[in-house]
Amino acid sequence: MQKLPYVVVANPHLSHVYEMYYKAFEKFRVFPEIRTLEDNDKYCDALRDTLKEHLTVIPNLAMGVLECQGLVEPEVMDGFMNTMLRARISRRVIAEQHLALTETFNSPWHIPDSMARTDLNADFVGEVFLKCNAKDVVERCGKLAQDLMVQSSGSNKIPEISVRGHLTATFPYILGHLEYIIGELLRNSIQAVGERYKDASSQPPPIEILICEAPQHVIMRISDQGGGVPREVLPYLWSFNKGPHTEIRLENLGQVPAMAATMQELTVPIDRKHADKETYRESSLSSLTSRPPNLRLGMGLPMSRVYAEYWAGSLELHSLEGYGVDAFLQISKLGNKNEQVTERASLDAL
Amino acid sequence: MALRHPVTRIPLRQRHNLVSAYLYSTASLVGRSSDSVSPGTNVGEDDIARLAACRRRPLSLGDLLKHGRPPLSKEALLDSANFTLSLLPARLAYRIQALRNLPFIVVSNPHISKIYNNYLQSLSTLLPYQQRRISTIEEEKQFTEVMANLVQTHTNTIPILARGFLECRKYVSSADVTKFLDTHLRARIGTRLIAEQHLALHLASQHVGEKDTKQRRESVPPNYIGVIDTALSPARIIKSCELFVGEICELKYGVCPRLLVGGEPDTTFAYVPVHVEYIITELLKNAFRAVVESGNEREPIEVTIAAAPDVPGNHVHEVGNHVHEVPQWLANSSSHHWADTDFESRIRFGSDPNESAASDTIRLSGASSQSITIRIRDRGGGIPPEVLPNVWSYSFSTFSDNVSTSSNGNIDALNSISGSGGNMSSIAGLGYGLPLSRAYAEYFGGSIAVQSLWGWGTDVYLTLQGIGKIE
Repeated sequence: MQKLPYVVVANPHLSHVYEMYYKAFEKFRVFPEIRTLEDNDKYCDALRDTLKEHLTVIPNLAMGVLECQGLVEPEVMDGFMNTMLRARISRRVIAEQHLALTETFNSPWHIPDSMARTDLNADFVGEVFLKCNAKDVVERCGKLAQDLMVQSSGSNKIPEISVRGHLTATFPYILGHLEYIIGELLRNSIQAVGERYKDASSQPPPIEILICEAPQHVIMRISDQGGGVPREVLPYLWSFNKGPHTEIRLENLGQVPAMAATMQELTVPIDRKHADKETYRESSLSSLTSRPPNLRLGMGLPMSRVYAEYWAGSLELHSLEGYGVDAFLQISKLGNKNEQVTERASLDAL
Repeated sequence: MALRHPVTRIPLRQRHNLVSAYLYSTASLVGRSSDSVSPGTNVGEDDIARLAACRRRPLSLGDLLKHGRPPLSKEALLDSANFTLSLLPARLAYRIQALRNLPFIVVSNPHISKIYNNYLQSLSTLLPYQQRRISTIEEEKQFTEVMANLVQTHTNTIPILARGFLECRKYVSSADVTKFLDTHLRARIGTRLIAEQHLALHLASQHVGEKDTKQRRESVPPNYIGVIDTALSPARIIKSCELFVGEICELKYGVCPRLLVGGEPDTTFAYVPVHVEYIITELLKNAFRAVVESGNEREPIEVTIAAAPDVPGNHVHEVGNHVHEVPQWLANSSSHHWADTDFESRIRFGSDPNESAASDTIRLSGASSQSITIRIRDRGGGIPPEVLPNVWSYSFSTFSDNVSTSSNGNIDALNSISGSGGNMSSIAGLGYGLPLSRAYAEYFGGSIAVQSLWGWGTDVYLTLQGIGKIE
């Protein structure tokens, strides 16, 4: 961030982010070496606080970047945003991984000698959720997105979601990331279909999801008939800071920082993930995942792509203008050595 | 139409040895083409340099339509002839220059040098006309004959070039070949369109007084303007291509998958039918073959036609005024592609308001553009990840697999070409299908995207930008 032009970092949102990073760096720089479990607990508390504090980073970054539109080349800004987000993923995953490991260690049923993989909670190793069943995740996210849509629009024109293909496909992944991506995609689809068929007498066509499993990867195709992406928007689809709807997005984003703090508490008790697993792990994404659907931030797709690419996957979108959109999410099966280790290592160094 | 089966009929024996292949094909070429000219034709060096330095205008569908709906008046027809004449020599010269910039050994290849000579010769036949305007019907007729010859001469360019580059694969990197061919073929699309458009206009507007006027007029449906169909129905083209590909498929494999057309099959738009036909045929060939070879022929191939709502005229006008060549959003979406493409093969979006105002028979309503997206979805197992990066490079075909790796790859590939030349029913082989289809689609601002679900099937998205409503 220090390399950005002064005028950009002088932006209140970006300078806020800068301050936060500076503070966090300072906090951990002076942190004494961890020698005992008590030290570790303290360290974990610090980590947890920092993680929580930094929940506001994404909205702030997004707003800052939008406000600085025109000050820097859009490509530079997008590059900056991508790097920031990727590096942020690394940091949070490392931190959350440690917290989760500590938590497992402290849980009553933990036997220090046993291997993590063989313990009762075998679905988890720290943060990485070992068995993601694509179909389950899709259905869970779909249900949530549908509910949100019903709440916000009160309409009964909510498309069904049908899943087919290799329904038994499982793969190791970070559940939070996967849920975020699929949530964003489904939210887009449901919204588009819902709006298109708002005044139609017939029920809207279903959103079709295809899961395709190959030895190296799992591909999910989400096809809707929501009318497609208007062609003037298409080139800006993956950009954080340009496009025709900047002002609306900025306004909407203004409401998110508050949410990141408050929605978090609201959603935690009912959050399905935490209810399921009895492990309290807050994720920066859950607040974004469960925001009201009428808030369009315009960064769901670029964010999702950053998350997808971080784990050596990809996210593509094909629009049939006037008909609908097909989104392709490719997920590499982790542990196949095909994550872009070197690229990530260089990013982590940032 | 020649575009549909870019296959050569020149007999080709299988030669392992490059040199003997050279010798052999040289002999066959000399024997075959009496019209091939030696490099020392009557085209001056300076002519080529001068013409190649001319600014080449990007071609738009609007340009092709500006002379009006046939039958043309005498003036309009002459206009069209002069317009054609004003564009072609520079384009040819530029191609000649591009060919000259290839490595010596590549142009020494008999196939490629044949193409080179074709271009030289075409330019030399056009140059005499360069000095004056075509001002009488007789001159126009003569010129049209020259045009017809020219179009005929260049019909086989693609397969010949393909063979030439295949034989030269040792001497040039495939990236360079792809780049050259991409530029060349795109430029060729434009050049041929200009020439064919004039030919078609000429045919459609044979002048009153000639006896066969009526007959000719009836042979051309009213919705055609030259080579452009103003009410092109994608569904109809898909149906006819399905029949054609289905027949080949039946012949070759004994089975033929079903095809379901969905979306908005009633939609029509203005486009060049030959291009759509070529693209759809190539895409269907791929889909049919994949489905049959993966044993999934019972799963239908789904084709979805989507028509974008017409963009309001004012929006496009804005685009037209702000950006003269390629609108920003269009340039962004495919910038990697236009970056290395020369000017003549670029497109211009919509049409110049002044220009369309100049024609009095045709008005583009607000110069709005229609956009048609066709999705072809098959269950043929998808494209292997290791093949995926290569699908857009020329001469890469899944059919002659391992062309680049195995030592006898050359022969395999040559076989498949000669095979397709021999009985034409070979469903795969030339390896030009996808990249050439993309060149056609992108020529007027469209696109093709391939999305493979390895282990399941492939989705292909073809977007075409029509020219908008014509009143």
